[in-house]
Amino acid sequence: MVVPDVGIVGIVANPSSARDIRRLVANGAQVTTNAKINMVKRVLVGLGSVGVSRALSMTDLGGISATLADLANRPASKAWPTLDFVDQILTQSAADTTIAVQAMVAAGVGAIVVLGGDGTNGVVADACGDVPIASISTGTNNVFPRSAEPTVVGIAAGLVATGALEADEVACRTKSLTVRSGERRHRALVDVAITAHDSVASGAVWDSSMVREVFLCFAEPHRIGLSSIGAHVRTVRREDPFGLYLRLGRPAVATVRVPLGPGLMADVDLAEVAELPTGTTMRVATPFGVVAIDGERVFRFGSHDTVTVTLLADGPRAIDVEGAMERASARGLLTRITEPPSRRMQISNQSTTTQSGGHP
Amino acid sequence: MNPLNRLDLYRQMVRIRQYESRILKEYHADKKPAWDIGAGLIPGEMHLSAGQEPSAVGVCAQLKKGDAITAPHRPHHFALAHGVDMNAMTAEIYGRNTGLCHGKGGHMHLFDPENHFSCSGIIAQGYPVACGQALAFKRKGTDQVAVAVAGEGAANQGAFHESLNLASLWKLPVIFVIEDNDWAISVPRSHSTANASNADRAAGYGMPGVRIENNDVEAISEAAGAAIDRARAGEGPSLIEIHTLRLWGHFEGDAQAYRGADLDTVNERDPIPLYAAALTELGELSEDGIASIAAEAIAEVDAAITFATSSPSPTADDALLHVFA
Repeated sequence: MVVPDVGIVGIVANPSSARDIRRLVANGAQVTTNAKINMVKRVLVGLGSVGVSRALSMTDLGGISATLADLANRPASKAWPTLDFVDQILTQSAADTTIAVQAMVAAGVGAIVVLGGDGTNGVVADACGDVPIASISTGTNNVFPRSAEPTVVGIAAGLVATGALEADEVACRTKSLTVRSGERRHRALVDVAITAHDSVASGAVWDSSMVREVFLCFAEPHRIGLSSIGAHVRTVRREDPFGLYLRLGRPAVATVRVPLGPGLMADVDLAEVAELPTGTTMRVATPFGVVAIDGERVFRFGSHDTVTVTLLADGPRAIDVEGAMERASARGLLTRITEPPSRRMQISNQSTTTQSGGHP
Repeated sequence: MNPLNRLDLYRQMVRIRQYESRILKEYHADKKPAWDIGAGLIPGEMHLSAGQEPSAVGVCAQLKKGDAITAPHRPHHFALAHGVDMNAMTAEIYGRNTGLCHGKGGHMHLFDPENHFSCSGIIAQGYPVACGQALAFKRKGTDQVAVAVAGEGAANQGAFHESLNLASLWKLPVIFVIEDNDWAISVPRSHSTANASNADRAAGYGMPGVRIENNDVEAISEAAGAAIDRARAGEGPSLIEIHTLRLWGHFEGDAQAYRGADLDTVNERDPIPLYAAALTELGELSEDGIASIAAEAIAEVDAAITFATSSPSPTADDALLHVFA
């Protein structure tokens, strides 16, 4: 087993995720800053365990980078790679993430670990180019990030960054939806919704009666949020060469009962369901309302505006942690057999194998 | 949740700003040439709320008659947004007999039992009081709610933590509002507070906590409406932290040397011109509309100043009146 002692991994942890109104109108979980710091520490241990030499973290004013910097030279960090921080001017907005990811790409990171929700991943996707990302959910609706223990996400991202696993085999290119209206351009990794709201206000979309149209990159029935509306009439996988277009309302061709938010069920009437092949651009049919990107209301438009939505296979390369770890296991990337050769066959035939404890 | 009435929100913010601007002018008018905080028609400290209008207006747009507010030492925006009479409030600030407290309270002690409004100069003091009001509402079986307002610095006081604990334990209909204006007098949050957001502290007491960025009156109103709906329905307390803006000093006369580069952009972040521009773009406000709303506010504030300055001051004979309950 040889894991080269190379590789740089970027870390983006959004200090603002999981604090919006969905803690009040749905049962959105509260992910505290301390919980996010704890997750980053687990990621760092995972990275260090497979020989990543350096981690480059976003800087923030939300207390995450400050705490990590304080720990970086203490005993707690002995299992971490060298931890550096992006030198950036902070605006306490999504631009902080964009600038950090640009700096990470310029520094030659082999992977980026993202802690946030769908919104955070969308911002990262716009700046990360071909660098594969591994996402950990610390947001509210959590559709794009698949759930996995941060330590293991760190291991998987580390194996990709060091070259022990090829990015091409464990990180497939995802789809994305691009919304254009005049000078505006926004990117969604899961869904674009056209709603009848007359205000962006607190951002979140939780009332299905306000939703008129939905465009989906993928629709998995075990997820929550707007994509679950489509998933129960037509499952679309992340790797399928098409997405979905839904028009809500009556006369309904189907009514679906879906988890629109955490602890928030809704019966939704669907007037139209259509496949949206990759490469398609559609014009929004609703004459006026608000456009929501990955569940967040972003801008209002009127009858004089032309709003289009394009589905392309140009999303970020997302590391499939489960698949990456299966490959790591099959290749023994974290396994060191310490028994003499004569017993190896016996070991491999036993259900419980003897392992060294994961030192590469 | 009450529907959004953008013009009402704008009108109320302009009214409050006009009030604070005029008090600013009157407060400084007779403290020259040598600054003397005890001089003039309005002696004592003065904490004005310019920049924080979205917080008060957004929250109060979701309240109804009978709901209670306890405000801190910077109270004018919440008082006006909650329906406290401008004349009586101004007379109180001027220390006149016609004031809310017959001139004995001053600007940090505006008590209006009719509107269930009170405030205090003691940091975080309104939090336990709001719990008491909420307990009364709950025991009476009404759907009234209590709103407790404090700054982000106040969240390091024991009273904040004790109140959150008790309110959560007893499922009280109270909404804890933290106005985070970045500065606890001269102390930034990063020098005083272990948590980056008080929404995290709410989690520790078993209640929902949200943080609203951008000083956006519509977002504040929507979140407050959701928290108030929960409280009215008996689902217990919530905490809303509003990231707002202190446009001026902590008190009048504060040179703000500690603010550094933060001061350079403060006027660009003034929420009222930003909201006027947004409403104009939406076609809901015109130049004429802006002018007439400003003129209404000026006339109302002029009348309140005239009422106050033409009201009698207390005499020595009044000293022991209205002091003991």
